[in-house]
Amino acid sequence: MSTLPQTVVRPEFDAGDLSEASHGDVARKLSLWEKLVDMDGVRKLTILIALMMAWEIYTRLSGVSEYILPKFSDTAVALYDAVLNDQLLIMIKNSMTVLLTGYAIGLVIATLLTTAAIMTRFGSDVLSTLTAMLNPLPAIALLPLALLWFGLGSSSVVFTLLHSVIWPVALNAHTGFMGVSETQRMVGRNYGLKGVSYVTKLLIPAAFPSILMGLKVGWAYAWRTLIAAELVFGGAIADTSGTQSGGLGWFVFANQMDLRIPYVFAGLFTVILVGVLVESLIFSTIESRTVRRWGMQSS
Amino acid sequence: MTQGAHTAAGNTPAAAAVDPLLDVDGVTLQYKTKEHLITATYRVGFKVYPADRFVLLGPSGCGKSTLLKGVAGYLKPVEGNMRLKGVDIKEPGPDRVMVFQEFDQLLPWKTVKENITFALMNGGRCKTQSEANDIAMEYIKKVKLDRFEDTYPHMLSGGMKQRVSIARGMAMEPDILLMDEPFAALDALTRLQMQEELLQLWEDTHFTVLFVTHSIEEALIVGSRILVLSPHPGQVKAELNAHHLTHASTGDPEFGELKTKIHNMLFADRILEDELAAAAAEAEG
Repeated sequence: MSTLPQTVVRPEFDAGDLSEASHGDVARKLSLWEKLVDMDGVRKLTILIALMMAWEIYTRLSGVSEYILPKFSDTAVALYDAVLNDQLLIMIKNSMTVLLTGYAIGLVIATLLTTAAIMTRFGSDVLSTLTAMLNPLPAIALLPLALLWFGLGSSSVVFTLLHSVIWPVALNAHTGFMGVSETQRMVGRNYGLKGVSYVTKLLIPAAFPSILMGLKVGWAYAWRTLIAAELVFGGAIADTSGTQSGGLGWFVFANQMDLRIPYVFAGLFTVILVGVLVESLIFSTIESRTVRRWGMQSS
Repeated sequence: MTQGAHTAAGNTPAAAAVDPLLDVDGVTLQYKTKEHLITATYRVGFKVYPADRFVLLGPSGCGKSTLLKGVAGYLKPVEGNMRLKGVDIKEPGPDRVMVFQEFDQLLPWKTVKENITFALMNGGRCKTQSEANDIAMEYIKKVKLDRFEDTYPHMLSGGMKQRVSIARGMAMEPDILLMDEPFAALDALTRLQMQEELLQLWEDTHFTVLFVTHSIEEALIVGSRILVLSPHPGQVKAELNAHHLTHASTGDPEFGELKTKIHNMLFADRILEDELAAAAAEAEG
C-alpha cells in the first residue's frame, strides 16, 4: 500500500581528530603546459599566427592578384618600409595630435553637461534629449557641415571628433552618478561630506566604473571617426597644412590612389595596432588598477 | 562575559539622575513614494540614556528604520522633535554614525583600513593620517580582522564586511551608534557570532547604541531596553527591560516568557482579527 520511501535510521559516528590528512595533494603545482594554456596572451597570439599563416598560404597557392590581396609577407615588408621611408610614425603622431585635441575638448564639454545634468532636472532633461537625438548620428556625417563652417583644416576634424566623444562620455558618466547606491550616499553624508568634497571623494569614485566605460567608448568612437575623416578629407588637410604628411587615414587613401596595395594593408594594420595598443596599454592598465582591483567590475 | 556585569552596567539609570543622550518626542515621520505619502511613524517618543543598548523592535512597516534615519538626520520629522544632548538634530553628522544592513556601505575603492581612516579624517576625529592609521588598526584588531586591513571589501565575506562597518562606526566614537538591522543579511550562525561579539565590544567601552531589528530574539539578546512598535503607522506599544538577558539566558524561562509577551504584543491585533473571523464563520455555520 505505502510506496513512500522510509527514513533509514543509521548509527551515528564521530570522525574525531582530522588533523592527519595525508591522502593526495591538497595543492599541486600546475605544469608548464597548463600555465601556458591559461595565459590569455598566449592563446590569442596563437590565433593571430594561425591567421597570418592562413593568409600567406592562401595568397601563395591561389595566385590571387596582388592588387586585390597582397601577400602577408609583402604587407609586413611594406609596413617596415613605410616606417623607415614614408614617415609613417609622423603620420601616427599627426593623427594622435588631432585626436587628443578633440578628446580633451570633448571631455571638458561632457563634464560641463554632466554637471548640469546632475545638479538640475532641466540639465538632466537637456542631456538625455540631446543624447537621444545626436548619439545615433554618425560623427562622420557632420564632416561636410564642419567643412562649411570651419573650412579645410584640422579644426573641422576636431569638431566631428567632439561629436563622437561628448555623448558617450556624458551619458555614461550621468548613468554612473545616478547609479551610486543610496547607502553609499548616506555613508558619505554621515561623515559630513558636502558640496565639492562629497562629489570628488564619494560620487566620482563610486561612479568611476561607468565614467571609465564612457572614456573608453568615447576614445574608440573618436579613433574610428578620425580615420574615416582623414580618409575622405585628409588629403585636403594635408595639402593646406603645407607639409607632405597627413594622418594615418590619408596614408591609406593616398596609397590606394597610387595602387600600392601592400601599403594600404600596412596602413590598416597600423590603425588596428594603435587602437589595440591604446586599449590594452592605457585603458586596461587603468581598469586593472582601479575598478577590477576594487571588485566593481567583473572579469 | 558574566551575567553580573550585565546586570550591574545595563541597569537603566534613573531619569532624574542622568540626562537622556537622545530625546525623541512625539515624532511623526512621513516619506513619499511615487504614488503615496506614507506616514511611517506617528507621535513616537522615547529616551535613550548613555550606555543603553536601545532596541527598536517591530514588524516590517512599523517605521523603525525610518525612525533611525530620522535620528541620523536624513529625514526631518513632520511634527515633534529629536534632540541629541539637548541639541536639535538637523542634518547627518559624524556624532551619529550609522551601520547599515547593506554590504555596500563599505566604499569598494578603499581597503578595510582606508575605509576607517577615510571616515576618521573626513568625520573630523583625526587631523593626521598616522593618527587615523593607529586608531583604525586598533579597531580592526578589536573586530579580529587584523591581517585583512589591506584587503578590498569585495574580497570579504558578509560577516567580515559588517565587522568592518561596526569597527568604522566605533572608531569614529560617535555619541550614539545607529545600527539598522546590521545582521539581517547574514546567515544564522554568523548572526549569532556577531551578536556575541557586539556585546563583548560593548563590555569594553559601554558605548551607546540604537539598534533596529525585527527579530524578538535578537532584541532580547542584544538590547538592554526594547521599544516595541506597532505597524502602519509605527506607534509605541511598550518599552521593556532586557538588560539581564544574553545568549546564555536563551534557555531560561524568563527569556521565553518575555519573548512570548512581546510576540503577543506584536501579533495581538492579528489574533483578534483571526478570532473575529472564526466567530463570524461559526455564526454563519
